[in-house]
Amino acid sequence: MSDFISQSGGPGLAQSVTSIPKGIPAAVPVASAATPRTGMDLSRIAPTREERLFLVLSIFIGVLSGLLVVSFRVAIEWIKILTLGSAPHPGQYRLLVVPTVAGLVVAALVQWFFPAARGSGVNQTKAALYIYNGYISFKTVIGKFITSALAIGAGFSLGPEDPSLQIGAGVASMVARRLNLSRQRLRLFAPIGAAAGLAAAFNAPISAILFVIEEVIGQWSAAVLGSIVLSAISSVVVARWFWGSEPMFRIPSVTLRDPRELMAYAVLGVAGGVAALIFSKALGWLRPRLRALPRWTYYWQPAVAGLMVGSIGFFGLPQVMGPGYEVMDQAMHGTFAWKLLLVLAVVKILATTLSFSSGTPGGMFAPTLFVGAMLGASIGSFEKVFFPHFTGTVGAYALVGMGVLFAAFLRAPLTSVFMVLEVSGNYSIILPVILANTIAYLIARSLQAVPIFEVFTHQDGLELPSMEEQREENPLHVEDALEPARVPIVRGSDSIETVSAAVTAAREPAFLVKLWDGSWYSMTAGELTGAAATLTPDTAIEHALKTDRTPILFPDLPLDNALHYFPRWPLLPVLNRANKGTLEGVLTLDGVLKRYQQH
Amino acid sequence: MMSVFELRSPLSAGERLEKRKLIFRDVTALLSLFAITATLAVLTFFLFNSFSKHRLELGQRWLTRAHALLAAGHPEQAVQALRSALEYEPDQRQTEIELATALAAAGHDAEAIAYFNTLLESQPGDGMINLELARLAVKQGHEAQAVESYQRALDGRWQGDGYLRRLSVRLELARYLLSRNENLKARNQLLIASGNAPDEPNIKLEIAGLLEQAQDPASAFEIYRKIALNKPERLEAIEGAGRTAADRGRALLAKQYLSKALIHPGFEAQPEAVRDAVRNTLADTVHLLALYPAPDLSARARAERIWHDVKTARERWTDCSEGTSAGDPAKFGNLRSRWAQVPADLSHLKVLTLEEDPELEQTLMTLVYDTEKLTAQTCGAPTGEDALLLKMAKAPLAVEEQ
Repeated sequence: MSDFISQSGGPGLAQSVTSIPKGIPAAVPVASAATPRTGMDLSRIAPTREERLFLVLSIFIGVLSGLLVVSFRVAIEWIKILTLGSAPHPGQYRLLVVPTVAGLVVAALVQWFFPAARGSGVNQTKAALYIYNGYISFKTVIGKFITSALAIGAGFSLGPEDPSLQIGAGVASMVARRLNLSRQRLRLFAPIGAAAGLAAAFNAPISAILFVIEEVIGQWSAAVLGSIVLSAISSVVVARWFWGSEPMFRIPSVTLRDPRELMAYAVLGVAGGVAALIFSKALGWLRPRLRALPRWTYYWQPAVAGLMVGSIGFFGLPQVMGPGYEVMDQAMHGTFAWKLLLVLAVVKILATTLSFSSGTPGGMFAPTLFVGAMLGASIGSFEKVFFPHFTGTVGAYALVGMGVLFAAFLRAPLTSVFMVLEVSGNYSIILPVILANTIAYLIARSLQAVPIFEVFTHQDGLELPSMEEQREENPLHVEDALEPARVPIVRGSDSIETVSAAVTAAREPAFLVKLWDGSWYSMTAGELTGAAATLTPDTAIEHALKTDRTPILFPDLPLDNALHYFPRWPLLPVLNRANKGTLEGVLTLDGVLKRYQQH
Repeated sequence: MMSVFELRSPLSAGERLEKRKLIFRDVTALLSLFAITATLAVLTFFLFNSFSKHRLELGQRWLTRAHALLAAGHPEQAVQALRSALEYEPDQRQTEIELATALAAAGHDAEAIAYFNTLLESQPGDGMINLELARLAVKQGHEAQAVESYQRALDGRWQGDGYLRRLSVRLELARYLLSRNENLKARNQLLIASGNAPDEPNIKLEIAGLLEQAQDPASAFEIYRKIALNKPERLEAIEGAGRTAADRGRALLAKQYLSKALIHPGFEAQPEAVRDAVRNTLADTVHLLALYPAPDLSARARAERIWHDVKTARERWTDCSEGTSAGDPAKFGNLRSRWAQVPADLSHLKVLTLEEDPELEQTLMTLVYDTEKLTAQTCGAPTGEDALLLKMAKAPLAVEEQ
């Protein structure tokens, strides 16, 4: 378990770390809220500096990430054209040679120079956020850019989105370090950059923001949300300046004339759930086995994977090589028969499993979308042939298929819905998307309890927080530990003598005082004793109260919120929201702890 | 004074100095960040622009190659080339249609249909796509779907020469209907086409030819006749007019046209089969005219022809009635009784008798016509003079009609 555990028991993003875990290089600079030379407290000499810089830098990060992602995509395309040719087709020997040689080169670069560039990029970003204080080195960014571009351009069945996410996070980390921001701020920049990178890669800001919240941060944090939005929008503006504002895929409006057609989308949801399971199982099986091989094989694994993927292309299916966006577009336009589409989906799972498990840098997003698109288009084409009266287009099914796999395989249900809407610019598809995604997500979850990114982190020996578990946590609320008020309840106007008699009779360490304005004060027996010693017995108890006021708690508040009050207030009144004067019950430290033990 | 300073700045002198240094460092850092961003933007711009140009070039290159492959009759390779062209220049409508067409030409009917349907969804009224879908339905033997798609193509949008494209589609539909023996439907389409067609002889000739195939020689003749009036005279029109006139039994008219065709300068340049067909039709026509008891003939000449026609019809009747038991007994019985009234030996039926009895002429010719019609139904298509008499029987008054 990582040393980084927040005080509340879970990984809180905005909370500072108290120690640096083992395994972090000594050179990792951990910024503090002090000037670098004199060690003066920055919060004293420039209290609003970080807050202002935070927003400005978010825009810079967005723009820089956008530019880098555009360059990254262009680099991939250039490499593809220069190595595989402008139109790879079966029977070309370069399909065998190029991925093999590229695999060797990439493996050498990763093993010798850029070990942190291995893998997709999502987990690395999460690790930077939760373990390494938001630190991603410049070398990692460069390495990720070069090795991923080379691998994807040479035909490995991987996508550019996850590397873009890590590149964005890396840029954010570098920029934040350059400005000597505090450790706490530095950690916040990784998700900001990640959102920017992903937004530019997908040309979809909302999906990127949601993905970072669903999969990287795991919670809606007000501290970082504004900056994530700013950086995502900045990067998308840059990306659209180059690529235009057209959505990635265009399909005609979807009109559900017959509600029974939703059945077909439900079938797609089931198929997607099963496909996601197969995909996950394949990766979960092969990846650790390849990693368990002797270290010298790491130099050869990408080359062998490249040769196998190249063979698939050489012997008939070059469509599975590379990210495959143009093939997805063709599938949406119905240029393939349903049997071929099904074959492409299956073979893509195989090619991606080989590519990713070999440790070649590259992402899982594009292959996931590819498999989903092929599966959806296959079902759509099948429907067109055998149920011609249905109105759903092949493009609509392909698009829904993308969302289905995204929801089921990557386990990001909310992102999957918005991703489909954004990449198509078509809101009319919302109903089928929600239905199919939900079915696929539930099936995948019930058949494979651990999400794929979590499987990877476990395989890598890391313990990163599970975002899915966090989403499903059922935190305790004040009402769960609420007890009836058995302590004495006195009025503020009652005399100290009267109150003392009541408290003595009850033998309680604390009691409640109801004041004239309806508010409550929780008084300890010690306070009462002190008051009795200094004031006359007929003095009203409200004159004996200390200046601080008892915290106001309501039944629906998180129980965590009450914990830090107990050292000062052993008894906490819980009030009704509609009528603050009405007492719902009380909280005691013992009661709260017992409740936590039962949870 | 001191208190005022304290109110303005609670920082010590060292802290103020540090704050100034901090501001300077931040400004410097932001400026350097800005410079890096600007430099990266410029580099990305040039990289992207060069790549975009290259993409366009590649798109054009693959499109040109695809056209060449299509022209050379290699649709399979053209499909790959068109896919590549679309990869580098996406959303090119014309290229998309070409790809779908190439898929169809390469035999990937299912893919072609799916692609055309997808294209159609974005532009449901596209005439070209509906036409291609109709052709694919024809290829797959889905008649109802083919006719529906043809109809949609006719009602759809066409770019540029929509008027001529619709006409072309209508003729294609008519040809398809003819191939399915739907002559009546084909005739309807052809008559619409004829009404809408521009005054272009080639198109009119094509329509007339199709009308002939649709068993509508009357409409075809009208078209041929009008074209034949044009100068310079079109041999095809003259021949067509003669042929259709002969087909309708308008022998005199047919003879005039066909005779004219024979002396047309282009006649000898035609294939031998065509020339023979024209000559044979003319010969038949002349022969028919020789059999026809025209009202303007002398009584003797007319009587002799009637005598000859009766003799021919009787032989046909004898052969048919003895050789078969098929046919409508009532009609056969009626005809038998009518023939029974005609003397078996016609030699005593003097030509003079006929000359003196126009009513007998009419009765005999009616018997001839009825005989030829009934025997044609019962004993198969006649040959020789019987065939000419049958043609005459169908429209006796049309023989010399101008």
